[in-house]
Amino acid sequence: MKITDAAVFPYPCGDTSVRRLALEAKTLGFDSLIAMDTPAGSFEGIEIMSGINVQDVPMRDVIARVKREKDTRKVVSVSARDNGFNRAAISLKGVHILRGILAADKTAFDHVTAKMAADNNVAIDLDLSVLIAARGIARQRAIQRYRDVLTFERKFEFPVSLSSYARSYLDLRAVREITGLCSLINMDMQGVEKGLDSVARVTASPWSAVRVVS
Amino acid sequence: MVCSPGGIMSPRPPTLRENRRYLLVRVEPAGTVIDQKELYYAVSDAVTSLWGDAVAGVITQAVVAAENGHVIIRCLRGTEKELAIALSTVTTCHNVPVALRIVAASGTIQTLRERVRTKKPVPEPGSEPGTEPVGISRAEDGECVFLENPFLILNCNGQKVDVIEKGFKNAHRLFLTRSDLENS
Repeated sequence: MKITDAAVFPYPCGDTSVRRLALEAKTLGFDSLIAMDTPAGSFEGIEIMSGINVQDVPMRDVIARVKREKDTRKVVSVSARDNGFNRAAISLKGVHILRGILAADKTAFDHVTAKMAADNNVAIDLDLSVLIAARGIARQRAIQRYRDVLTFERKFEFPVSLSSYARSYLDLRAVREITGLCSLINMDMQGVEKGLDSVARVTASPWSAVRVVS
Repeated sequence: MVCSPGGIMSPRPPTLRENRRYLLVRVEPAGTVIDQKELYYAVSDAVTSLWGDAVAGVITQAVVAAENGHVIIRCLRGTEKELAIALSTVTTCHNVPVALRIVAASGTIQTLRERVRTKKPVPEPGSEPGTEPVGISRAEDGECVFLENPFLILNCNGQKVDVIEKGFKNAHRLFLTRSDLENS
């Protein structure tokens, strides 16, 4: 099992360098990080994967961007918008993660989108920074929304990724703390393990249905 | 506390006392000046915001000690999990960004204090004694240069280096490593 934080923002987006984030992530129990807009690498045994997020552009630009990143080893994620957009994005080959489900419309993620995410092996990202930093109505909405997503996950079994959206190493949380936070949204230990391992599953090369043996 | 009329207050018998647990928590970033009262307000706000007044009244959290970059937080026995989740939602203390990392839990304060006092700093990779990193231009007063900008070194522990921008206003704090400073 490879425990991965699905989104961190190192310097210059944040105040912590990617090496420092890797160092802190190691002490907190992580095996890898997806660092947005940062070259891939490895530091102190922590694999740093390069991630890009395509947001606020029309679908044709999303398609062009995903095609451009096809043979790079970057983790491609798309920010969720309306229902039609989400379904189209999930069906694109090369998209690994659908992010920002909280900011999208309430009807943006439904059972059809959930089924498509499961079929296309696209992870739905849960941003834990809202549970950590938000207060009041904002956090209540996040808990409610994530519980809905997890209800679909139990039925359709699509991958779910967990992100700290850390811009500082102070925003990182240990695996145990993430387990505690996920208990707020009705996610048990097994679900958290699957969530932390989901990046490895969605970025793995798909096995072909036919395998030639000698 | 039981108070007889006109008499001094006597402690409760052991069977009537509430059982408590103590959490040892490390405050990050290292070197942060901890004000127990402000930290108590931050923790109380986090607990109340997450669990509500009713549960916060049951947990009865309190910051009982602060020592050597660690604090000891008290709670009712059986509520450690709820307190731990609430502590992970503490992001600032008196407008200073902090993070609280739970180190240990115990039934007594003394055990946790001994743990803090006997705790040896974990040797960071690449921090063999006597080695000075090559390439860091460091002045006598703890300055360095990162990406052609001068910074003051606030804290240096093994690979981890905390720096702050030199200047009178808008001084940004950065969290780097020795490798970053060597390669910049």
